[in-house]
Amino acid sequence: MIGALDTLLLVALAAIPLSALLAVSVAGRWLLVALYALQLGLLFAMTPGEAARSGLSFNLLGNAVGWQLDALGWYFAAVTLGAAGFSAAYAAGEWGSVNARGGLSLRWLYTGLQINVLAMLLLLSSADFIALFIGWELTSWAGLILMLLAGGAAIRAALRYIVYAIAGGMAVFAGLVVVHAAVGSLQFDALRGAASTLGTGQLWAIALLFVLGFSVKMATMPFHLWQAPAYAFSPAPGSAFLGSISARMGLFGIALVALKLIGVAQLDRLTLAWDLVSLRDLLAWVAVLTAILPTFVAMRQNDARLLLGWHGVGQGGYMLLGVVVADSLGSAGGLLHVFNHASYQAILLMAVFAVIHRTGTADLNRLGGRMPLTFLAMLIGIIGLAGLPPMNGFVSKWMIYRAVIVDGQPLLFVATVISTLGTILSVYKLLHNTFLGQLRLEHEQVKEAPWSMTVPMLLLCGVVFVTGFAPGLVLEYVATAQQAIGLVPVTYILGGIESPAGSLDMIWVTAILFAGFGIGALLFYGLGGRSRRVHQLDNYAGGHFLTADVRYQYSDNFYAGLMHRIRPWYRGSFEWAEGALVSALGAVSGAARGFFEQANPAHWVLVGTTVVMTWMMWHVLG
Amino acid sequence: MTDISLAVVLPLLGAFLLPLAARSGLRWLAAILGPALLAAAALVVFANWSGFSAPFAIALGSFAPPLGITFYIDELALLFALAVPLISLLLWPGESDQSGVRRQSLTLLLAAALSGLALSGDLFNLYVFYELAAVASYGLAAGSGSSPGYVAAFRYLVLSALGSVIGLVGIALIYFQTGTLNLAHLATLSGQLANPQGLAAFAMLLIGFGVKAELFPVNGWVPEVYAATGKRVAALLAGLASKLAVLAVVRILLLVFPGDEARQLLLVLGILGVITGELAAWQARDLTRMLAWSSIGQLGVVFIAFSLPGAAGVIAGVTVALHHLVVKSALFLLAARWGGAIERLRGAAASSRLGAGLFVLFALSLLGLPPLPGFWSKFLVLSGLADAGTMSHLIALAAVLTGTVIEGAYLLRVIVVLYGKADPAAPPPRHATADLFGSSVLAVALIAAAVMIDPLWQRLHGLAQDAVDATTYTQTVLGGQGPAR
Repeated sequence: MIGALDTLLLVALAAIPLSALLAVSVAGRWLLVALYALQLGLLFAMTPGEAARSGLSFNLLGNAVGWQLDALGWYFAAVTLGAAGFSAAYAAGEWGSVNARGGLSLRWLYTGLQINVLAMLLLLSSADFIALFIGWELTSWAGLILMLLAGGAAIRAALRYIVYAIAGGMAVFAGLVVVHAAVGSLQFDALRGAASTLGTGQLWAIALLFVLGFSVKMATMPFHLWQAPAYAFSPAPGSAFLGSISARMGLFGIALVALKLIGVAQLDRLTLAWDLVSLRDLLAWVAVLTAILPTFVAMRQNDARLLLGWHGVGQGGYMLLGVVVADSLGSAGGLLHVFNHASYQAILLMAVFAVIHRTGTADLNRLGGRMPLTFLAMLIGIIGLAGLPPMNGFVSKWMIYRAVIVDGQPLLFVATVISTLGTILSVYKLLHNTFLGQLRLEHEQVKEAPWSMTVPMLLLCGVVFVTGFAPGLVLEYVATAQQAIGLVPVTYILGGIESPAGSLDMIWVTAILFAGFGIGALLFYGLGGRSRRVHQLDNYAGGHFLTADVRYQYSDNFYAGLMHRIRPWYRGSFEWAEGALVSALGAVSGAARGFFEQANPAHWVLVGTTVVMTWMMWHVLG
Repeated sequence: MTDISLAVVLPLLGAFLLPLAARSGLRWLAAILGPALLAAAALVVFANWSGFSAPFAIALGSFAPPLGITFYIDELALLFALAVPLISLLLWPGESDQSGVRRQSLTLLLAAALSGLALSGDLFNLYVFYELAAVASYGLAAGSGSSPGYVAAFRYLVLSALGSVIGLVGIALIYFQTGTLNLAHLATLSGQLANPQGLAAFAMLLIGFGVKAELFPVNGWVPEVYAATGKRVAALLAGLASKLAVLAVVRILLLVFPGDEARQLLLVLGILGVITGELAAWQARDLTRMLAWSSIGQLGVVFIAFSLPGAAGVIAGVTVALHHLVVKSALFLLAARWGGAIERLRGAAASSRLGAGLFVLFALSLLGLPPLPGFWSKFLVLSGLADAGTMSHLIALAAVLTGTVIEGAYLLRVIVVLYGKADPAAPPPRHATADLFGSSVLAVALIAAAVMIDPLWQRLHGLAQDAVDATTYTQTVLGGQGPAR
């Protein structure tokens, strides 16, 4: 029987050949956007609280393999389809036509996007470990299609990605066979039922293998090196899609296996050093380190795409932190941040690519342009990313901070604040160096991006603002997802949170904020409203007007003073460690090759025989 | 039921008739003789399989076992006996010039010997057929006519001949202790071999049969030979011949050495094979050497799989072996025109879309991307290892997984080169139609196996049960059951 989930999967499957067919023309691409809307519509036709079972099931090698979309998967699927739809729309018009002329294969781009979506849907709706692994591997390989498309520097990054991804996949594979050996079944429910009876050794193995595997996709430290370049150098829609949702599949996996199947109570059995540190504490610290270090790496980037890519890694740390705190507020914050981050990260990447589209560069040392709508979009995006009201990023971050404090972890809280500081500094650098300061001569003729690109951005800005103003719209789904994991759902209202752990009403916050703006405006206009329009080529330093012959650009080497202070901290230890590992592998590999290239391999027959004879003599005579 | 021994006799006959036919000017006969005989051999095996109900034995020349020559026929034997003519047919060297005829008759000789390996029920015949296969493969390896080919073939010859001598010593040790070489008879006497002498004999047999099975550490010949000879020969040796040598080892392991020590030895050598093979392949600069090293790694996995106890081990082993047989043969076929530096292949996908697509398909299956069969074969091995759960099994599990990561790194490097931008001054080579045809057939088989994976696995159950059942084996052979001659 064909149920709602089957219909969705079938449409997603049918959309793959359609993408290959239609992607070449503008009208065809808009049809594909409509197809994403249809898929999203089909998703919303399901009730997230009731798990939709697929009629498709197999019995493979003694394991039942099937698919079922519960509320957790539904939530991630909604973000996935939304991100894909907006990315597809962004490229449908002028961007696609121009880049196709530049040699980009739109067929592969759109097909790859749809393959990614299908793979993720399969992953998110898996009902057993085989289905999970199928979805996981397909997702990993599908991502590669989008990364390879751009060619050039992207290829190195993509190769690095796939090695990390295979390694992560193999950890998941190992986890799967350990579950099979320990529980005797690969059904999710079987592990869920048996988790309390497993020995700590088995539980450690299962939890660690899965968490390691999923962490690689999340790019949590120390597996963080691959992500920023791999996502950043994909073509615009690919980058926006990958950057906003792809890495979150790892978070989904951790929420699924660690929280839903193993369960918080069983996780807390996993402790080290005489119960001083639990696996969850360990993960929380990994999460905040991931939130801090990549954020400061982001601050140093001069390529806007890389800057955002590194922030993507850092924000993943927040999500993980929220999820491993695992109380109702924290986990809701972590999950909500998935949606929020996807929305503003998509805006930011789209804005950056819009600038590239018009100027041909993303080099923050050489920008400064005039694209007012793109500027507005980026402004809203960075407010979201920095976690400031009234945008949605504030809400989820507030929930995570609050949960950490309530949980009695002041050090973690301080660490997250340090991360936020880095975020604010670097997103300001992004906005400033892209748009502010003196207009460069070569950008005098730059026009605003075409409507096909600005409209998706502005629509997403609307999403970021509305879900910041009324987070309850999303929290409804987050709470159902929490229920599906087996956590206490957060108590929410339209404006935010109302719980003993803390309350937040964004409607009030926004109202007060806008009232503040209003008072400011009143004061300004009440006092005469004196303002003077200046030309973008004019320049000022410390309030002094500089004449046009003084070339003064301070976007180059931004934060010079701060960087001077913290530069010694950037030691590239992880790059070094990765390089050392590769070199060591190269040396061992050389030795292995030497074994096969020796002049006379027949020696080994004699060596082997001598060993065998000696061993036999030893045993027979001794 | 057609006499199964025809599966050995027909190709053997062909091997001798073919040069005669070619010399006497009957070119048309020479051209169709080989394929026709191989097809006939395949039909014979197939007829036996379709009428198969229970394992049976035949005694050639009517000497009752344990004295005479015994063939033992169960599904495991039939499976490999069927694979031999089919794959030989697919990899048939089509040229009809002088060296082509030599290669064709050597291929027939190899096919006869390998079928014999699949069917033989005693140790001495295993050895004889193994030697026959070795002789045929020296000829094939040297047949490229180039000086690196001769050097590589000579290395191979020395290594293989030394190995055979040691293997023969192992057989002598067994005979010395038990007084018989019939596998069924040995199975009843396996208690007498559960001692250091017995184990040493097994180790020596491993050294002997291991040469062709690409077992560490006697596989030093592999990369040079595969790089220097024609890729069809490489496919034949890496895909087919290695598997039949493995089958011989497995028969001996299951019937004569059921103890844990022998399995442990196989497991350790398998682990070393995976590690050295994959590591060496990681830095390979040319495609055939890369595939050769990767094949060593894969055969390590095959040995690890067969070292698992019980029917589960046989199922896992057969799955991995068959998968590797299909995939590696196909990859070598694709590499036929893609020899030399990998960098030379930049942009080859543009001129050879199908070839590059097939390469990606086989590479992904080799890496174990679900739902391709490579995933299921890995799944069976890994879950077997996790179920066994001792330290050495867990090390093997880690080795297989790490090997896969390394494999992914180097295979992807090739794929990226294939899909890169070609240098217009030096366009990458295109495939020959015959090579593409062969690998397409194998691709269809691979995809069919992916779709039919569950029925295939069910089928393997019965096969594995029979294979591990030493009691039925001894009763069938020694009890004189089966069709009398």
